[in-house]
Amino acid sequence: MELPLLTQIYEDGNFLRLTNASSLVPTDQAEISAPSSCGVGAENRMPRTPGHGEQYRFHFDMTKCIGCKCCVVACNEQNGNPADILWRRVGEIEGGVYPQTRRHYLSMGCNHCLEPTCMTGCPVEAYTKDGLTGIVRHSADACIGCQYCTWNCSYGVPQYNAERGVVGKCDMCYGRLTRGQEPACAAACPEDAIRIEIVKVAEWREHYRGPANSPGMPSADDSISTTRITLPAKLPADVSKVDLNQLHPEHAHWPLIVMTVLTQLSVGAFTAICCLQVFAAQSHRTAALVALLMAMLALTASTLHLGRPIHAMRALKMWRRSWLSREVLLFTLFALAATAYSATLWFGVRGTSWLGALTAVLGMCGVAVSARLYLVPGRPAWKSPLTVAEFGSTTVLLGACGADILTRGAEDARYAVFWGFILALMTIGLKLARLGRSKVHELHGSWQLLTGVFSNHLLIRIALACTGTALLPLAATTWIRITIALLMVSSEFIGRYLFFVTVVPTNMASEYLAQEAA
Amino acid sequence: MSLMRWFARKAGLDIRSSKYSYSEDPVLGFTSSRKQADRWVNSTCGYCSVGCGMQLGVKDGHVVSVRGNRAHPVNAGKLCPKGLAEHYTIEAEGRARFPLLRKNGQLERVNWDDAIGTMVEQFRAVQCKYGPESLGIISTGQLVTEEFYALGKLVQLGFGTRNYDGNTTLCMSTAVAGYKRSFGSDGPPGAYEDLEHADVILLIGANVAENHPILCTRLEANQSKTLIVVDPRVTKTAMMADIYLPVKPRSDLALINGLLRIVIDEDLYDKSFVASHTSGLEDLRESLTPYTLDYAAQITGLEPELIRKTALLYANAKAAFIGWTMGVNHSTKGTETVNAINNLALITGNIGRKGASPFSITGQCNAMGTRETGFTSGIPGYRKFESEMDRREIARLWNISAERIPTQRGLAYPDIIEGAVAGKIRALWILGTNPLVSFPNIDVLKHALGNLDFLVVQDGFHPTPTTELADLVLPAAIWGEKEGTYTNSERRVSKVNAAVAPPAEARSDFDIFLAVAEHLGCREELFPDWREPRDAFDEWRRVSAGRLCDYSGMTYELLDQSCGVQWPYPIGEKSRATASRRLYSNGQFETDDGRARLLSTRWEPFPEQPNSEFPLILNTGRTVEHWHTRTKTGAISILQRMSPRAWLEMNPKDAQQLNLQAHDRVEVISARGRVSKIELRITEIVAPGQVFLPFHFAETNANQITQSAFDPISREPNYKQCAVRVERSSGNPA
Repeated sequence: MELPLLTQIYEDGNFLRLTNASSLVPTDQAEISAPSSCGVGAENRMPRTPGHGEQYRFHFDMTKCIGCKCCVVACNEQNGNPADILWRRVGEIEGGVYPQTRRHYLSMGCNHCLEPTCMTGCPVEAYTKDGLTGIVRHSADACIGCQYCTWNCSYGVPQYNAERGVVGKCDMCYGRLTRGQEPACAAACPEDAIRIEIVKVAEWREHYRGPANSPGMPSADDSISTTRITLPAKLPADVSKVDLNQLHPEHAHWPLIVMTVLTQLSVGAFTAICCLQVFAAQSHRTAALVALLMAMLALTASTLHLGRPIHAMRALKMWRRSWLSREVLLFTLFALAATAYSATLWFGVRGTSWLGALTAVLGMCGVAVSARLYLVPGRPAWKSPLTVAEFGSTTVLLGACGADILTRGAEDARYAVFWGFILALMTIGLKLARLGRSKVHELHGSWQLLTGVFSNHLLIRIALACTGTALLPLAATTWIRITIALLMVSSEFIGRYLFFVTVVPTNMASEYLAQEAA
Repeated sequence: MSLMRWFARKAGLDIRSSKYSYSEDPVLGFTSSRKQADRWVNSTCGYCSVGCGMQLGVKDGHVVSVRGNRAHPVNAGKLCPKGLAEHYTIEAEGRARFPLLRKNGQLERVNWDDAIGTMVEQFRAVQCKYGPESLGIISTGQLVTEEFYALGKLVQLGFGTRNYDGNTTLCMSTAVAGYKRSFGSDGPPGAYEDLEHADVILLIGANVAENHPILCTRLEANQSKTLIVVDPRVTKTAMMADIYLPVKPRSDLALINGLLRIVIDEDLYDKSFVASHTSGLEDLRESLTPYTLDYAAQITGLEPELIRKTALLYANAKAAFIGWTMGVNHSTKGTETVNAINNLALITGNIGRKGASPFSITGQCNAMGTRETGFTSGIPGYRKFESEMDRREIARLWNISAERIPTQRGLAYPDIIEGAVAGKIRALWILGTNPLVSFPNIDVLKHALGNLDFLVVQDGFHPTPTTELADLVLPAAIWGEKEGTYTNSERRVSKVNAAVAPPAEARSDFDIFLAVAEHLGCREELFPDWREPRDAFDEWRRVSAGRLCDYSGMTYELLDQSCGVQWPYPIGEKSRATASRRLYSNGQFETDDGRARLLSTRWEPFPEQPNSEFPLILNTGRTVEHWHTRTKTGAISILQRMSPRAWLEMNPKDAQQLNLQAHDRVEVISARGRVSKIELRITEIVAPGQVFLPFHFAETNANQITQSAFDPISREPNYKQCAVRVERSSGNPA
């Protein structure tokens, strides 16, 4: 990246120089401590341009912050953001017993991580890590509004702007920095708690664990945050986030519910159709068309998730790096193979079972990759093999239901439905056990949502699946078999809805009365 | 929106790039293009009385941004979150735009001439029928000084009623009364700069980090200080302290008397200062007899060693500063507490020197202006109603007969309300304040307003809970739309300028006062040749000349140039205009004999003690995002986002006993009323037995439960302590 105006930042003695990665030495005391009549810093307090192996970072001094939130307002003014989007936020942590109570504040923009998970997940290369400054920048023009970065970042930094259909985030006021101006948050802070520093990347990689972590913050391990946090010398042992009792259901993402369930249904169905062709010499061309229709419906639905559906095809771009790109790629290939396979079945072309097998394999790979993309650091409840099991069991169960219908209730198909049901039930049980036993706030929070606000949803999901299974021995007519399939599909839709709404993201501590972002 | 554009948005072709673009601005730097202005107008913040200098960016007739004025001696470019979002107040929803007169129960639009004609006619009719003093006026601390000066003359000389007071009585009248009793005059003696030079800073009932965050910059700049914070609640400020004194509610007076006794007993006081510049030491010594260390420790709940340590630190300091705000003022013992604070400063000689001052940190942006010029509890220029010399002097300056100047003040704010309840006040003019949210024990106020024959409310916003009850609403210009001056806590006078015109038919309060005077037929007598605020300022300069609050050397041009000048600033003042000035540096006080008074005070328990029915003590206060009754900040989305609603703080021990959980909705009930469905915050910030409720929110109004108890001297309400119980709201998930 070129920074043409950086050359304007003159490099005289008034700037901050680093002696090592974690200590900051003002070279000119008068400049830093400012005139006594005003008590605030002088205008230009910018460090020099980072050199080789260095980058800019934020320093946040918790001992100075008084939680006034000037930085939050200044950031929104700087970027013209609406009030429901806060690129810089202030949260609270608290501990101790009266009168030795301590409440401290965290102020956070983007941490401009060494290994930015927002960037590695992005399917369209909207993110770049600036070569000179290390700033993680986001391009609104490149962004397609898939919001995958909002899951990938464990700090909840990227935020979706529905008015624009794209994500946005703190860029350390890149445009200001290149002009020698302080970022808006740092300039506005009355307590001088936010500063820009230079960090030596290699040293930071060795030593970040102490200074990058803080109570009330997600682990810096996920992405190696570069923000240096100065903590008070003494913090009470029980200091914790003040918002631990606040559990808000997450966004349902209906297009994604439709997309994941229907792709899994379609993959299961094509696998069944292919198996029946190979092992039972049956050709189910109508069923193939229905399954293909489901796949098309799923892919169409997925574009509705995007803020900029017209640019959906861009999502293929970063297949070397992004699981989302890989998912899009595999499902596209699956859809192409499925189309070809369906056509061969329809027109009675012989010797094409290899095409069916290809469709099934691509589809199963697609489902696996689809599950893999949910294993993100910012969503601990998803980050488990159980997500793969969940998506897999949906595929098996719905595919088996298809086979049950196509074979008019063949015994093997009914067993498949039964085992699919057992698989699904085990997945639910294991997930509940994992979440319920965990001491991790985000996992336990998911359990609280599943067994609290959403307990009825969960019970209905299980009841539907049980009813479907109970009907299996009676599956004498097509109508009953279709009923079973519909019960299972409904159960899976509710399951997927719960998957999305009951996940508790990792995040910085928020305020006690935090409102949900729109 | 056309179909094409709708499609472009939904499909993602149009991502509002131009709205979200950035460019370089010579003033703001590289920033959102929407925030960039064609011109910048210097002004002063209109919220609190820290008095930060700011610049308003105007583009196409709209104020699109604000920035702190780097050249201003108060804030050097910094602003608090309210200030940073202040431009949104101007075009906030709910601005009053047209005069509205109640006809058949409905407020209907009328023209200005009819509005003011009706007002004068109604007021005169009431005064004819019930006597001139049946008219009451309640103003504010948020007009410009020129308007306060004009209003005082208009009320006292034009309408001829003394029953005029400001909402400053809900806020700073205690400090005023305390200063007058100790020093012979109102006027905070110190300067903000003292915060940077004091080696001991004692903050009593002052949560500056929440309420005056820009002053914290000064604390931060003073690295060698010892900061001692006295507060029953572990506030943001308490957490900054080197020594935190978690006193029991309203035990501050016992603490200070305890400190005084140690300082005197251990011979740590400044004998030469006391001998030369004070009187009353022996009486004071006598009055301190009960305040042994053990007694003070017992009343305050503090460790005796901590009290002694504080006394020694304060007494041995080279320069010690005491700052206080509402923890002291909002009390039936407030004035005495201020006097005790002044006693402590006086006997240690901590006044009139760099870093050394007792200092009230004022509330509203121009509460000081009304104190100096307002004609409410005194005659403009800190003159006394009781002094014949002062009355003659002002009459001469105004070219009127001295008989027209009252010989004592009229009713104070709470007494005007009591007067309305008793049927003695029959008409009321309320300006720039929202008592339906801010007055204690709101039911009494509602009763009072219901008794009136005619209620005029002049405000920048409508509807507010108060304007909704008015017979006549006069739409006023607000900050950003008018010219004048504000005086801040440290007596620094800064210029306020209009950036844009008021909305629709709203007019500046100054213009409204001139129009009322015109209708009354006294415009030429009271306001000869006045056209603009500058005319009032020039007269005020003459009226203040030679007084403690001497403005005579100031001009609008000087104020604009220098950004802010502390009074006294007489003609011919040689020092730099922006230099810090202190009162009483020569040891000469404003009393008859020039000596400050050491006054005896007596601690008493607060009036409404907790009991079995109401076992908890309620404390009230603020949050940094909001201003007073939220008529302004409640309309600003970013501030609302950060602080959307009220909460009740309760200690975990009490919550456990009441079987309450975090975020439960609860009722807070006192003998007078209840606050309903408020969100519970369980926290060790408050002590067991106490609860805390922010007072900004009309929807969960703390003043539905506060009491009608007032300081006998200052008439300030005892907002801070009353007995309540807390219950889970019905319909709450168990």
